[in-house]
Amino acid sequence: MRELAKKRLSANFKQSTKYLALVFNDFFVLALIFIFGAVMFWYAKIMKVLPAGKWYYPLILAGILWIASLPGKLVTLFQEADRQFLFTQDDAVKDYLDEMRGYSRLLPAILIGITAAILYPFASLKVGLNGSNYLFLVLALYWGKMAEQQVVSQEFTFDHRVKRASWLARGLTLAMLLAALYLIPQIAGIVILIPVAASFFLKKRGEKRQGQVFDWQYAIDYETERKDLVYTAFSLFTDVREKRVNIRRRKYLDFLLPSLKKETANSFLFRRSLLRNPEYLNLLARMTAFIVLISLMIADWTWTVPIAFLILYLTVWQLLPLAENYDRNIMYRVYPIDQAKKGQDLSRVLSWALFLQAIVVAAVWLIALPKEKILSVGLLLLWTLLLAKVYLPYKTKEVEKRARYGKKSGRRK
Amino acid sequence: MTLEITNLTGGYSGIPVIKNVNLTVEKGQALGLIGLNGAGKSTTIKHLLGLLRPQKGTITLDGVDLAKQPAQFKKKVAYIPETPVIYPELTLKEHIELTMLAYDLGEDSWDKANELLTMFRLQEKLDWLPVHFSKGMQQKVMIVCAFLTKAELLVIDEPFTGLDPLAVANFIDLIKQACAEGREVLMTTHVLADAQQAIKTYAILNQGTIEFVGSLPEIRAHYGLKETDSFDKLYQVLYQEESRDQHA
Repeated sequence: MRELAKKRLSANFKQSTKYLALVFNDFFVLALIFIFGAVMFWYAKIMKVLPAGKWYYPLILAGILWIASLPGKLVTLFQEADRQFLFTQDDAVKDYLDEMRGYSRLLPAILIGITAAILYPFASLKVGLNGSNYLFLVLALYWGKMAEQQVVSQEFTFDHRVKRASWLARGLTLAMLLAALYLIPQIAGIVILIPVAASFFLKKRGEKRQGQVFDWQYAIDYETERKDLVYTAFSLFTDVREKRVNIRRRKYLDFLLPSLKKETANSFLFRRSLLRNPEYLNLLARMTAFIVLISLMIADWTWTVPIAFLILYLTVWQLLPLAENYDRNIMYRVYPIDQAKKGQDLSRVLSWALFLQAIVVAAVWLIALPKEKILSVGLLLLWTLLLAKVYLPYKTKEVEKRARYGKKSGRRK
Repeated sequence: MTLEITNLTGGYSGIPVIKNVNLTVEKGQALGLIGLNGAGKSTTIKHLLGLLRPQKGTITLDGVDLAKQPAQFKKKVAYIPETPVIYPELTLKEHIELTMLAYDLGEDSWDKANELLTMFRLQEKLDWLPVHFSKGMQQKVMIVCAFLTKAELLVIDEPFTGLDPLAVANFIDLIKQACAEGREVLMTTHVLADAQQAIKTYAILNQGTIEFVGSLPEIRAHYGLKETDSFDKLYQVLYQEESRDQHA
């Protein structure tokens, strides 16, 4: 089982490296450096004027450090087929998970390390912790994270207590940090003894629990959920082939759906996809929220209006792949659905989404913009009409062409 | 109303899997297409549904040529796949509504839909997403949608997998009813014991060609099966033929 774990870890590392390289591309790194520089500049400035020794500083320090310790679940890399092929390997699972725990320590180490390094000036100058004290406190936090992963690795039984156990471990870690900073600030680092003792106790507990029935399905579901989270994070920056789409019913959005008489088969499908497929709905919600946020933050119509126009355009542009959502569904191709009108129907549905978005934005502008509310809303409606009546029909004609003559005639290869 | 497949040759990447297939399904007839795995049953069905372009040959239904009038042809065909294909975003009710939209069925089709939903014990699940159903339940959704259409030809691919005996009995009744209404049924299956209840004529597909078409007694006589032999023994005979051909 140790060999299997090593093999899977190596494959997982390769996959993660591939996606990380795509995420941290040149532009993103440049933007990150810029943002980091700006934040550090602000941080340095604020450190000069911030008074020392306020009562809530330990709370801020403990809070930020604790939040940095939250990511980094236990990586198990269990697969659906394990339920069948490793079913008889309950006794060897401990060895497998031991290997996995080694790998799982990496991400928390990086995150806690970077956060602790950034917070060091604040901890030493404003909270009053000396270097070694702070170092041991951070190590205690890291050891607490390892104890959390250790306890999770012991809870894949039919009691289904992984979530409860990990939140209990996290809660205790936060309590430990707060207690150390408020009760014994001069020797705060001494709390490292607590997670060390906990690890020792958990090791003994693990030995005692050896022989308990391992719940494979529970462990596989845990890993699927964890992987989904990772893929979702990657998918914010790049296409992730392995990402599973979790469709949800979202009955509360049904009021937005028009009656059957007003629908064609294509528009019927596209509209439901838009409202229930998280890829599309989240995009629409995210972009709308972005416009609202920008409007509230800038509150100057000369800036807000052009930025909103750009985001509205980007929204529909990013929603265009909806056209291909059913291309691989055999029933979609077998049913007598008019493929040639696909583009036209898509244009109708995207215009509908665009107007929904515009209505929300207009409402916010009418409330929040200090000047030229009516003019801004008028321009917004004009732009929405332009996108719906000119841009979308033009773009979706390409979709029609692809449907009529096959993919080769389309732009995409 | 007749389905006519004439000299159909086709396959994947230019390599023919089926060769010169000739088949006719008459009005009110249910034809069973049987053969070993890899004989070309699914390939034949894919051609019939317009999912593959034939290298040679024609497919017509009631005079409508699939290659020339695909939209009209598709309106006349309903399909039940071997593995249920569900729209993840649609509820059961919406699967029915989509079928109504695609096949231009009126609101009055809900009477028929409710009858089918009750028959397959799905009437309480209209607001559920079938993507979360068991395989058998999903197959029932496929059956309900296919029989809801007034399609002249029902193409059914390995339908019995995952269905409980009650559902199988109801399904067989529906096939008999469809034939009585003058519709045509083309079905592939390995579960001959169940298929025999609704299908009287079979086409034997072996290594991509139609080897024989006939009733059960005619098939027994053609392949030298005794009266006491199970119909499943046909597969052993086909396998022996295939092995012999490969060695030759």
